[in-house]
Amino acid sequence: MASIQKDLDWTSILLWIGLSIIGLIAIYSATQGPVSEFLPTFIQNNFWKQLLFVGISLGLLFGIQFINPTIFKNFSYVAYAISLLLMVYTLFFGQEINGAKSWLRFGGFGLQSSEFMKITTILAAANFLTSRRNLATEQIRYALVSFLIIFIPTLLVIAQNDFGTAIIFLALIPVILFWSGLPYGVALLMVSPAIILYLSVFSWVYGLIAMGIITAGVLFLQRSKWLTIVTVIMGSATVVVVQLALTKILQPHQVARVIAFTNPSYDPTGAGWNVIQAKTAIGSGGWTGKGFLEGTQTQLRFLPEQWTDFIFCVVGEEFGFLGASILILVFMLFLLRLLQLSINHKNPFAQLVTLSVAAVYFMHFFINVGSATALLPVIGIPLPFISYGGSAFIANTLMLAICLNMDLYKREFSIYS
Amino acid sequence: MNDIRNQHRTQLSIRVMQVLFATLCLVVLGRVFYLQVIEYEKYSMQGERNSIRQEIIPSARGLVFDRNGELLVSNEPIFTLTVNPATYDTSNNTLLAKLLDVEVSHIREQVKTARRYSWYRSSPLLSDIDFTQFAIIQQNLWQLPGIGHQLESKRTYTDKINASHIFGYLREADIKDFENNTSLFLGDKIGKSGLELIYEERLRGESGIEFKRVNAYGQALGSFVVENEGTNPIEGANIITTIDADLQAFAEDLMIDKTGAIIVMNPNTGAILTMVSSPNYQVDRLAGRLDRTYWAHINSDSTRPLFNRAVSSRQPPGSTFKPLMGLIGLEEGLITSTTNIPNTGGYQRGRLYRDIAPKRDYNLEKAITFSSNTYFYKLMDDIASSGRLNIWSERVKDFGLGVDLEIDLPSSTTGIVPDSAFLDRWFGVRKWGLGDLINLGIGQGVLSVSPLQIATMTSAIANGGYRISPYLVEQLETPFSTNFPNKRNPSKIDWVQKKHLDLVKKGMRGVVQEGSGRFYVKNDSIAIAGKTGTAQNPHGYSHGWFTSFAPFENPEIVVTVFLENAGFASISAAPIARLLHEFYLQGTYNSYVYNYVKNWEPQEDNSDQTAE
Repeated sequence: MASIQKDLDWTSILLWIGLSIIGLIAIYSATQGPVSEFLPTFIQNNFWKQLLFVGISLGLLFGIQFINPTIFKNFSYVAYAISLLLMVYTLFFGQEINGAKSWLRFGGFGLQSSEFMKITTILAAANFLTSRRNLATEQIRYALVSFLIIFIPTLLVIAQNDFGTAIIFLALIPVILFWSGLPYGVALLMVSPAIILYLSVFSWVYGLIAMGIITAGVLFLQRSKWLTIVTVIMGSATVVVVQLALTKILQPHQVARVIAFTNPSYDPTGAGWNVIQAKTAIGSGGWTGKGFLEGTQTQLRFLPEQWTDFIFCVVGEEFGFLGASILILVFMLFLLRLLQLSINHKNPFAQLVTLSVAAVYFMHFFINVGSATALLPVIGIPLPFISYGGSAFIANTLMLAICLNMDLYKREFSIYS
Repeated sequence: MNDIRNQHRTQLSIRVMQVLFATLCLVVLGRVFYLQVIEYEKYSMQGERNSIRQEIIPSARGLVFDRNGELLVSNEPIFTLTVNPATYDTSNNTLLAKLLDVEVSHIREQVKTARRYSWYRSSPLLSDIDFTQFAIIQQNLWQLPGIGHQLESKRTYTDKINASHIFGYLREADIKDFENNTSLFLGDKIGKSGLELIYEERLRGESGIEFKRVNAYGQALGSFVVENEGTNPIEGANIITTIDADLQAFAEDLMIDKTGAIIVMNPNTGAILTMVSSPNYQVDRLAGRLDRTYWAHINSDSTRPLFNRAVSSRQPPGSTFKPLMGLIGLEEGLITSTTNIPNTGGYQRGRLYRDIAPKRDYNLEKAITFSSNTYFYKLMDDIASSGRLNIWSERVKDFGLGVDLEIDLPSSTTGIVPDSAFLDRWFGVRKWGLGDLINLGIGQGVLSVSPLQIATMTSAIANGGYRISPYLVEQLETPFSTNFPNKRNPSKIDWVQKKHLDLVKKGMRGVVQEGSGRFYVKNDSIAIAGKTGTAQNPHGYSHGWFTSFAPFENPEIVVTVFLENAGFASISAAPIARLLHEFYLQGTYNSYVYNYVKNWEPQEDNSDQTAE
């Protein structure tokens, strides 16, 4: 039998604790500092609520370690179905906050069903793929089903008007396909439209250059004439569509938002405001920051959503490059450790779940920090374990707890399955 | 279950993902490094600019007092709405216009001006808003980002006197003013006329600068001290004028519904006790937010209320010039005290120059008393014929006519006292002759002077031949200094002899005792001496002059009254002067004469009959 004390992956837990503490400090500064006089009372309470969520999560994290790991696999479809129903229910009876209808109210607390949808989707998709006798997405039917398992919740999330979360779900598709043996060249081909689209927004020249490099990569990895041609056609089509969208299809205000991303000073009080304020907050932090509760951008309320989507700016401004790089490095180590757990596991289900969980964390991290530092257009999405939010914190911890549980029992796991 | 080969392949895939995640994390780290370390300068400045606003603390403008310390002009606090173009949303124009009850176009215009001036600095949007409107705006401030207010002040004036031409008005500085003066800020009001203009720099003081920390909504969070930054305002200097408010008020009362000017001056120092120009304007209606209707009205009014007749009006001095003529004649030896010239109805020289004084012989004293023209035609003829025109011109200028008196008011005129060079310019070389000069002897022709100059000339006669420099400001006072900006010592006019002066003064005393002044100016307890004059006016009734000093033996004041279109000065301007002498020297006045002056209407005179 595995011993929790000896076999539990304490490295991950320590990194998790590190991230939670950074988060609590940042939330404290963003809501309890001098800024609090500009904030409504319910936001001033955020720090204490988050402290409660961290406590609950801590209990959850250890409690789950006593569960038999087979449960996650066996109940994955049931859990998937329940969370889908919850999503639909939310769609009809949920509460709209900041334009996204993704909240269910239970007394004083709100539940964001899409946060829990992530882990059940991962479990269901992993279960489906690893239960096939001959695991191979080469068989198009399996690929389609696993695609649907991910795509249905994606559609529901889009229906809830939460595009940020939808991107997280969609990002699971290439990850799972990649893991299940998709040739690298094909994987590159699948992500190429996203890369080319991103660069085409700045200039069609960048888009074409990216297309050239990717095409060369596909040709090198696959040595297939047809795949190379498909890459060229898809890449060119992406560049053309982006140009058409910018000049012909999109409404002026939508174009303004896109242009504001590439050049925030184009509209400093409108679409570019958030980007400018976020960059200013981070940039003015310098090497060591302005000090705890001393950040003018944070405390004078120049940052939007500074306890959730722009919390990275709080850290960057008040603790400078020192604090920001500690956050990034802790997060990076955390991700690499999870992937290492995945590698160490012999059971494909556990391996795929852990991998997917790491991918979800990474996507959140990259989009959140990328938005705040203007690497990406502003997409509202929380930073796992750092941003305020009970549902997100508990759901993210739940994902970690399941990964750790499967890691803890990895010797027994092969026997059960 | 994966086979062994597949297991290896999967592990490799996950390794690739590890590398990919690590790489992208480092890309993010690099981006953060770029923003925080490489672009730190740019963003830290932007951060400061974001949260620190520079605000101007206006200095308190200096106060104005009369000679006895009575407060004449002070400041009153007003609320001025400001706009910060960086945070203001122009779609709020309509709402703002509705709340303030002004035209949307006006708001739009003001916002545009504010933007042109500075994008980040708050500029005035609407000044002097009343408290109810201010309260409404404060209630709606949450939907009006970028709108703020500042406490300003406007000029407030004593009710006792008008003195609009002395004080002058303030207007918002225009583009030209900003170009000339870098210490001005948009919305600053600066003096545009009167003392406010002349002493602008001293009255204004220096604005202070305060750095205020504000939040994203532009709400100020208390002042923020950065070492060596921010300055305290320096208060403007207070002005103690030479004006006697009681006398000024009385003089203004006498000039109601009359057109003209009054100067009351201390003949020994040049201090101006009273200066009235009528019609005047209500200077308080030009304070605070500009009353555009009133401004347009006073600018287009045909009686020109903005025009300061006391220092800017140019008129022939008429017979008030005769005493000075006598002094010059005596000095040049062209006449003596006993020279007798008969009046036979006029002076014949090429044509007949008319004289309506009683037909008899006149010596200088009597010629002044009865204002015989013939005497002075003859004298001027002698001056010109003996080639003394330019000497005459110099001597006249010594008495303050035809020169800039450098009074501390704007646009005072120098007037015209011709010499040969002037006449060459005026008529053309060799195109003028004796005929153009003889009229100068009785203060007509091309001669022109302001009431202030006549008062100055009269002072020099009264004080025994000292040229004085008129001034309005006795002292400029700050907590640290006191100075006397325009007070200048009298200087003896070297050629004037006491015996000559005494003769001329006796003639002027005679005007009041037995000449044209005997009806309305003669006062048994005050020895007033004076001289009437008529300035011919081609457009209507003649303008009347009366210039005088008292007490005769030891003069304390000079009173000069100039009335436009008044007809005979002896029954229009002279009674006013008498009342002022009485009021100043006795504290009482003759109520019969007072009622006469108040009910007086202009009467037609015969323009040819220029002698009084």
